[in-house]
Amino acid sequence: MNASSSGKARGSSSSQPSESSSKRKRGIFQKELQHMMYGFGDDPNPLPETVALVEDIVVEYVTDFAHKAQDIGSKRGKLSVEDFLYLVRKDAPKLNRCKELLSMQEELKQARKAFDVDEEKLAASLD
Amino acid sequence: MKQFKDPFEAAFEEQEESPPQSPAAPPDDPDPSAAAAAAAGHGDGEGDDDDDLLLDVPSTSAAPELLRRRRRGGPAPASGAAKNNREEEEEEEDENMEVELGKLAPGGDPAKMGKMQAILSRFTEEQMNRYESFRRSGFQKATMKRLLCSITGSQKISMPMTIVMSGIAKMFVGEIVETARIVMSERKESGPIRPCHIREAYRRLKLEGKVPKRTVPRLFR
Repeated sequence: MNASSSGKARGSSSSQPSESSSKRKRGIFQKELQHMMYGFGDDPNPLPETVALVEDIVVEYVTDFAHKAQDIGSKRGKLSVEDFLYLVRKDAPKLNRCKELLSMQEELKQARKAFDVDEEKLAASLD
Repeated sequence: MKQFKDPFEAAFEEQEESPPQSPAAPPDDPDPSAAAAAAAGHGDGEGDDDDDLLLDVPSTSAAPELLRRRRRGGPAPASGAAKNNREEEEEEEDENMEVELGKLAPGGDPAKMGKMQAILSRFTEEQMNRYESFRRSGFQKATMKRLLCSITGSQKISMPMTIVMSGIAKMFVGEIVETARIVMSERKESGPIRPCHIREAYRRLKLEGKVPKRTVPRLFR
């Protein structure tokens, strides 16, 4: 796996050509990955080559995952969240996490709606 | 991830903005805006509101909490004595911190939260830093959305899709890093993780079937 040494000009990273630029810039996830890897057990300052390698792996993972989801989704029409959930059905921790994230997003939406109403009431009461 | 703001720090800084000694009118103005800023600060603006999903559970419940507490502190600065204000603000700070700590724990039931609190209170500083990194780190939604758009070729990637994908990717990174640490301990090495460990961890994950296999062989690597 010499992907990390291939530098910036990576060329088409998938077998299907994409309309946007075929070159992928290095380090699109670099800053977040450093924090993430520290959180999961790495050094507070992970080695740059390690971060680059993990980024390559993650991008490849996301790409393959999205392609698989697209294959499934194409049977039903367009791509939806259900396809992602179907793909992780065997992996219990991931599935539970996804459900948790989705339900939290709903909660946040509701809370934000309620918060906007509260703000208006407060502004009205101050006047 | 712009700044690395602790929720406690964020609350502390916001409180310092509202001056305790100024006359009645200004404190009332910065207060609602500080409160709004704090509530929005938990999300740091529109696009990042959902970042909190990946990070802290408390955003939904703690934001209104902070709001209420800040509002109660609103009339206090107008009362005059600087010392009183300082004390009140510090008390509220501590309350805020406890609220955050309590709500940071995942799980809805009190038993889990109780266990979580017991564990969290025993953390050393290094462990707390690491746990904070773990909770607060996440992939930028904009970046992930751009990546997904370029992969699928379709422009319409909904917000839940981005959120779910970021969550799955984060857990995948976790699996890699943890497996790499296991590899390191088997080889009895220490220090920062090196690419060879990552490659070995990736190979093991592939054997376990946690990595989606390419149906089309990869050309031109």
